[in-house]
Amino acid sequence: MERFLYLLHHENDGSFADRALEGLAFAKALAAQVGGDLHVAVCGEQATKAAHNLAGASQQPILVVEGAEFAFPRFATDAAALTAICETAAPTVVLACSTTRMTRVLAAVACRCKGAIDTHITGVSVNGGQLSVQRWYYRQRIQAEQCRSKRPWFMLFEGGMAPAWQIQTGTVQIQKVECRLPADKIRTIVEGKRTPSGESQTIRPAANLLFVAGAGWTKKQSDGQTHPDQAASLIRTFLQLGGASLGSTKSLVDLKGEGQTVLPFLTHLNQVGQTGSTPRHPKGLATCCHGEEPHVVGWRFINERRAINLDANCGWAQGKADVLYVADAFAVLEEINKLLQE
Amino acid sequence: MMSETDRQQMQVDIACVGFGPATAGFLYTINQQLLNPDGTPKLESRVMPGMPLQIVCYERSDDLGFGVSGVVSHAESMRASLAGVKSSDIPMLTAVKHEHLYYLLDPVGASRRSSGVRFLDTLVQLCRWTPWFRDRAFRMPFIPGFLAKHGGWIFSIGQFSQWLAGQIMSTGLIQLWPGTPVSEPLFDSDRVRGIRLLDQGTDLNGAPTEGFMAGMDILADLSVVGDGPVGTVGMQLDDHFGLPPGHERKDWALGIKAVVELAEDTQLQEGSVFHTFGFPEPEIFGFIYIHPNRLASLGIFVPSWLDNPVRTGYRYLQHWMRHPMLAKLLKGSTLRSWGAKSLQESGRLGEPFWVGDGFVRIGEGSGSTNIFTNSGVDEAWHTGKLLADAIVELYGCGKEINKQNLQETYVKHRRSDRLEKEAKIAAHSRDGFQKGLLWGLLGMMLTHLTRGKLSLPIARQSTQERLPNFERFYKKKITASQWDTLQQQADQKGIAMNELVMAQAGWPEIPFDGRLMMSHQDAMLIGGKVQAPGGYRDHVSFLNPQICRSCRFKLCIEMCSGEAITPGPQGVPLFDRDKCIHCGACTWNCTQWLDVAKQKTNIGFSAGTGGLHSSEN
Amino acid sequence: MSFFHIVVCSGVAPDPLQTLLPVSDHSAPALKNEQMLPHLLDPWAEHSLFEAANLAKNNPQSKVWLVSMAPRAKLSQVMMKVAQKASFELVALDAPSNGFTDSFAAAEKLAETIRSIPSLDFNRLLLFGGWESASRASGTTLQMTGELLNICDQFQGVDELEVTNDGSLRVLERLEGGEHQISLCAGPPAVLGWATGNLPEPPNNPQVGMTNMRQIMPALQKAQAFGYPADALQFTSVALPQQKRDTELVKDKNPQEIAREIVDWMRRQ
Repeated sequence: MERFLYLLHHENDGSFADRALEGLAFAKALAAQVGGDLHVAVCGEQATKAAHNLAGASQQPILVVEGAEFAFPRFATDAAALTAICETAAPTVVLACSTTRMTRVLAAVACRCKGAIDTHITGVSVNGGQLSVQRWYYRQRIQAEQCRSKRPWFMLFEGGMAPAWQIQTGTVQIQKVECRLPADKIRTIVEGKRTPSGESQTIRPAANLLFVAGAGWTKKQSDGQTHPDQAASLIRTFLQLGGASLGSTKSLVDLKGEGQTVLPFLTHLNQVGQTGSTPRHPKGLATCCHGEEPHVVGWRFINERRAINLDANCGWAQGKADVLYVADAFAVLEEINKLLQE
Repeated sequence: MMSETDRQQMQVDIACVGFGPATAGFLYTINQQLLNPDGTPKLESRVMPGMPLQIVCYERSDDLGFGVSGVVSHAESMRASLAGVKSSDIPMLTAVKHEHLYYLLDPVGASRRSSGVRFLDTLVQLCRWTPWFRDRAFRMPFIPGFLAKHGGWIFSIGQFSQWLAGQIMSTGLIQLWPGTPVSEPLFDSDRVRGIRLLDQGTDLNGAPTEGFMAGMDILADLSVVGDGPVGTVGMQLDDHFGLPPGHERKDWALGIKAVVELAEDTQLQEGSVFHTFGFPEPEIFGFIYIHPNRLASLGIFVPSWLDNPVRTGYRYLQHWMRHPMLAKLLKGSTLRSWGAKSLQESGRLGEPFWVGDGFVRIGEGSGSTNIFTNSGVDEAWHTGKLLADAIVELYGCGKEINKQNLQETYVKHRRSDRLEKEAKIAAHSRDGFQKGLLWGLLGMMLTHLTRGKLSLPIARQSTQERLPNFERFYKKKITASQWDTLQQQADQKGIAMNELVMAQAGWPEIPFDGRLMMSHQDAMLIGGKVQAPGGYRDHVSFLNPQICRSCRFKLCIEMCSGEAITPGPQGVPLFDRDKCIHCGACTWNCTQWLDVAKQKTNIGFSAGTGGLHSSEN
Repeated sequence: MSFFHIVVCSGVAPDPLQTLLPVSDHSAPALKNEQMLPHLLDPWAEHSLFEAANLAKNNPQSKVWLVSMAPRAKLSQVMMKVAQKASFELVALDAPSNGFTDSFAAAEKLAETIRSIPSLDFNRLLLFGGWESASRASGTTLQMTGELLNICDQFQGVDELEVTNDGSLRVLERLEGGEHQISLCAGPPAVLGWATGNLPEPPNNPQVGMTNMRQIMPALQKAQAFGYPADALQFTSVALPQQKRDTELVKDKNPQEIAREIVDWMRRQ
C-alpha cells in the first residue's frame, strides 16, 4: 500500500498556483485509484491560513511549515521545510507540481530523504497497484514509461494533468511541522522580482494563443531586402491586440549573436523548442518557421495549431499543424492586425 | 581600423588546412612517428625545442567528417596503413563483395538522348528477353577492370574521418580544430609563412561588430594544404602561382549524395555495389553502395559537360531514384542524410604546383584523383602518407623544410609512385565525354585497351567555354517565348528554373512521400544542420553585379545544392548562407568570366563556416 | 577582489538537429546509431561553461574545471569544439551519455569526483551546470550533486550572476511568465544551474585551444570508467510520439481571407 504526500506552496497573496491545484486534483484521483492515503502539505509564510482553502483535500490533517523565512522561494529554507514535512509524513510517494519553486528544490529533498525522483511527468499509470510514470526524454522528443522500486519516490508533475482542484474554504485540521534553520544556514536574501515592463512583456503563460516567430521574418523578402522594423512592428501590434504570448525559434534568437537586426523585444526567454521551452497554450500560430521534428518540439503541447509559411512543405506545419496557409506572413499579419483593431 | 598588432600570432611546426582523406592520411601516418618508444621526441619541434613536432589542423566545417559521401574504393593505401585495425571498428565500413553495372533506359521519355544513345537504347531493348534485362535496365554481364573494386572497401568518408580523428587525437600530439575556417595563406613574396584564420565577430560583409576577434596568424614552417578542390587556401595559392604550364581545370562534377536506411525486408546484401549510367540523362552516372546495418549510400554525378542550361543535382537525383530498377531496390527506404560535393575531374591535368617554400599540396586539390578508375579517396590518402614519409625523412636528417627539399622528397617519391603511373594512364581517358556518352565510353575503352597510350583527340572545354543554351538542349520541347515566361515565373517566385523547365520538357512531378521523396528544403533538414554559425562574413559573393545582370543562364542558381543562391533584384542573385552546404558548385558553374586570363569567374568563394552536415555521411 | 573555483558539470548530447530514434535491447533503452550521431556539449551546460570562463576572466586567480561524464570518444570529439572557446581544466569520466539513466547515480559519481579534485577550495566553490540536460532533461542531477556536496545555496534557471563589491553574489533566476527572482547570496559555495543567460558564444581562440588541449588529452586518457547501476530505473516503453496531424493546405486565398479565417479561429472558444 502506497502512502502519498502532495506538496504545495502558496503564492505571496495566499492563493495557490493553478498548476499546483491541477496537481492536487490529480494526486487525489491517483491516491483513490491506488487505494492509498493522501497527505497534503503546504509551505509558505502563512501556510495555515492558506491551508484553510483546502477543505476536503485530504482526510488527514494538512501539514504546514510556515514563517517569514518561507515567504519566498529560497533553496535553503524550502529544502529544509519540505524535508521536515516528508520526515513527518513518512510517505512512500511524494507528489508535487512543477512550479519553478518546487522544481528547483525537490530533487535535493529526494536526496535528503534517500529517495528517488522523476520530473516532467505527464501521466501515471496503475497496473495491479504498481505505479509507472510517463515522462519525456531528449526535450520532448522521446516518450518513456518507467517505474521504480525505490521509496520514497518523488514525482514532479507537469501542468495540465487534471482540471484544477476547486478551492473550498472551511475548517481544516492542521498539523504544524517544526522547521528551524540556524541563522548561518540562511545565506541568501531574496531581494525581489524583476518583471518585464508592460511594453516588453511578451511571455504570457495564461494566453489563449502562442505566436511563434521564425527566422523567416528577418530574411530577405521578394524585393531582395530585409524588413526587420516592419516585422517587429507587425508582431508587436499583433501581440498587443491579440493578447498572445510570443515564442520564437532558436534560429531567430541566435541571429542576434550574429549582429543582425532582429525583433528588439525578443530574448532567449521567448525561445521554444529543443533548447527552449515547451509552453502550454490552447492555440498556436507559427509564422515563417522552418524545420523538422527537432525544431517543432516547441509546440508539442499546443492543442490547435495553424501556420503561415511560403513553403507548402514547411516542416513546422506538414503533419504537425491543423491548417497551413501558404502565404506571405507580412501581408497576412497586416490584415489580421486591421481586423483585431476593428 | 584594427592594426596588425591586434592580431594574435601563434607558432607551430606544421599547420594543416582541411581535414579530409589526404590530411587524415598525413596525420595518421606522422602521428606514429612523432615519439620514440621511450616517449622522447623522435621528430623534434623547431618552434618548441624538446617537444615533438607541433602540428595543428584547421577544418572549416562544424565537426570533423561532415561531408556526405559514401565511397567505394580499392583502398590499397588505406588498407596498408590500417593493417592492424579491425574493419568492424570503423562505422559503416565493409568489404566489397558484389559489383553490378547497369545501363538504364529512359522510362519517362524526357531525357535528352542523342541518335547514338537512342541506337544503344534500341540494342538494349532487343535484349529484353535476356536474363540481364529487367525493369527498364540492362545489367552488364561484366565489370570493366578499371571500374572493379572487388576486395576493396565500402565506407563513409564522414564516419571514417570521425573515427580517424579520434585515433589521431588520442595520443594528444596533434590537434584538430573543426569550426575554424582558414581565410588565406600568409605570403612573404613567394614564400608561405603560415595561414590566417578567419576573422570572427563580423557582419555578413566582414565588417567588425561587437566581439570582433581578428583571425589569428598561425606561423608555420610548413603549411599543408589539403582543403580539396574548392578550398580557399588552395585557390589562393593557384591565384598566386598559377597552374604549371599546360595544366588546366576544366572538368568538374557535382556529386549529389544521400544515405538511406533500407527497408527491413531488403534483399540487398552488405558489400554490394551498383553503378548506373544512361539515366536521368545519358551523361549522368549513379551509384548505390550497401553498408552494414541496412544502410546504403547512393547518389549521382552531374558533370560539367552536361550542357543543360538548368542542370540540377537534387531533381535529377530524385528522377534517378524513381527509375523502376532503382525504385524497386529502394522500396521502403528512408532518407537519413543528404549532401553534395564538387569533384575536380581534371585529374593529373589539373595538378597545381605541389610544393613551394613553406607549403605543400596534398589530396584532391593537388590533382590526385584518378579519373579513369573513378577513384579519389585512397589516392588522396596516399598523397598524405607520402608527405608524412617525406617529413619524417627531412626532420630525421635535420634538413630545412623548403621547396627544394620537398621536391627532393615528397615530389620525387610521388612522381615515382604507382599513383603517378596510374594518373598518366588516366590523363585523357575522359576526353571523349566532351562529345557525349558514347564518345566517352569509347575513350574509356581505348584507355583501357592501350593502357592510356591512345586517346581520342578531343579538346576539353570548361563550362564557360561550352556556354549551355536551351535552344540546343531542349530543341523542340521549349520555345524561346516559353523559356522567357518560365524565367519570369521563376524570378517572381524567387526560385531556380529547373523544376519549371523540366516539367515543361516532360519530366513527371515527383510525388513526395516524406520518407525518401521530399522537397529539396526538407531533405536538407533531414539529419542536417540548417544554420551557419554567426559572426562570420558571407563566403559567396557576386563580384561584379553588372556581369550578373547580363548573364542569361544562371547555372549558379540552378546547380546550387542547397537552394542558397536564388534570383535577386535586377538579375543579381541573392545568397543565403544558412542554406549553403559548401559544395562549391557555384564556382565552376558560373558561366561568366571576371578575368579570362586568370580563369576567374564572377563568383567569389571564400572561407566560411557552417553548412549542412550529416551524421552518417 | 574575490576569486572563485568554478566547477562546471556537463555531459554531452546529440546535436539537437539530428533525428533521434529510440531502440530497446535486452537492457536499458538507447538511441539508434548513437555512436554515429554528432554530439555537442550539453547546450545549457555549455552556456554555463561560457559564464564560468567569463566570471574567471573578470575575477583574476579564479579557475575553471569542467567535469564531464560521457563516452571518451564522444568527449574527445566535443572537446575539439569547445576547447577553443574557454580556458578550463578537464576532469573526464568515461560513462554512457544516453539519457535513459538515473540522475542520482550520476550525481553521486560527480560529487565523488569533485571532492577528489586536488587544490579545489570548497569555500570558493561555485558549482555550475545547465538547469537541465538535453538528454535526460530532468533538472535533477546538478541539484543532487550540490546536495551531496552539502552546498545549501542553490539557484536554478539562472540567467545572470553579478559579483558585488563585497564578494556576495546577486543571482537572477527564472520564474514563471518571463519574470526573474533576484537573490543575494553571501558568497560561495553555491550551485548555479544556468538557463540561457545573456552572454554570446565566445569566439574560437586558437591559443586557448592549444593550451587547453595539452591538458585535455591526458585527462581523457585518464578518464575513469563509470557504469550506471542497472536496477535504479525500469523502462516499460520508450517510443517516439505518434502525433501526425492531417494538415489542411490553404494555398489559394488572399491575405484578407486568410486573416479573417485566423481571427475567427482565434476568437472561437
